[in-house]
Amino acid sequence: MNDLSQRPDVDPPYDYPEYGSTRHRAPREELLKLPAGTLDAAGPLVPRGFVRDGDNDLTIHGKSKPLGEKMVLAGRLLDESGRPIRDSLVEIWQANASGRYDHPGDTHDAPLDPNFKGIGRTFTDDDGWYRFVTIRPGAYPWANHAFAWRPQHIHFSLLGNAPVQRLITQMYFPGDPLLDFDPVYQSVPDEAARKRMICMLQLDTGIEGVALGYRFDIVLAGARSTPLGI
Amino acid sequence: MDRTPSQTVGPFFHEALRWRDGHRVAFAESGADVVLVGRMLDGAGQPVGDALVETWQRSPTGEPPASGKSGNPSGFARVETRKDGTFRIETRMPGGPAPHLDVTIVARGLLKPLRTRVYLAPEAAVRADPAMKPLAESPRLQTLIARAEGDAYHWEVRLQGDGETVFFSA
Repeated sequence: MNDLSQRPDVDPPYDYPEYGSTRHRAPREELLKLPAGTLDAAGPLVPRGFVRDGDNDLTIHGKSKPLGEKMVLAGRLLDESGRPIRDSLVEIWQANASGRYDHPGDTHDAPLDPNFKGIGRTFTDDDGWYRFVTIRPGAYPWANHAFAWRPQHIHFSLLGNAPVQRLITQMYFPGDPLLDFDPVYQSVPDEAARKRMICMLQLDTGIEGVALGYRFDIVLAGARSTPLGI
Repeated sequence: MDRTPSQTVGPFFHEALRWRDGHRVAFAESGADVVLVGRMLDGAGQPVGDALVETWQRSPTGEPPASGKSGNPSGFARVETRKDGTFRIETRMPGGPAPHLDVTIVARGLLKPLRTRVYLAPEAAVRADPAMKPLAESPRLQTLIARAEGDAYHWEVRLQGDGETVFFSA
């Protein structure tokens, strides 16, 4: 089963000049290979009380409803052998419908939405399912190059059930014309791998008459890791 | 099935990934309190003020940490670097012959995490750790050893260039 580590790397390189911020942050030295299994031990185990009811609905925390296109985002967290990763923390964050983060570092001249923080968390269930209710985020400009705009995306942080499974990624939307010009998305060398970061429109995942539905499955490393429940 | 690729955490993660007392590592076991003070610099020698650092370690008795029913996961820290590149983790000395924390760094400009390790142990113990065998003769091993000074361990992380920290492939 060690041959899993011999597959072509699906991840981007550290050094990717088109994404300017990599310039002084990408390591230059060769990486050291740790003995096999070093990062496979289970953990950290996040206590169930870590997530409160409602943390997976980003639309209910204001005095009224947020602006934008309401959506349900659901999917499964799996390992490379297709087994569900259970009881695992999923954290998301995103811009509001006008493309503005509720973050002091975001200087984009688009309005904040007092009814939208853009932060959610949940646990996967026994079959690896997670589900969020949110708003479709807007695209926004950034300073990477002239006329640079990030495609609409939602950030995901996954702890998995072992350090080898730790993943931070971004989910994109089907048919977004900005994907062709986005160095972050394009930094993933393999086209098929890039497309695994795009969610799928799935109407019946939504709420009839209320919210569109999108499906996004996430596959983490390490078929050998035991998916541990809590 | 094929893995989902990594993408940068970007600059806007702070509130979403901020955990209450994320810098204070929870343990069911008692043990010696230790403080790790880190500082992160980029290849131009500038502080990295917008990174997230996660550490994972053994319990003081050398076992995999057992989590409680509430609070933060045991054995795990998550902290943001401050504007000056520093971060501070309050934990307990991990058990084992060469006590260490496994470290993951994510930040704007990192398209995938950097993995490294910081030893809270004398150099001789680190050189004897079988995991460090490839570095046994290398001066770069020093980049993984925190310096005990005053009431804290101090560790400088250099992402690139002179004195670059040793990073691991997953």
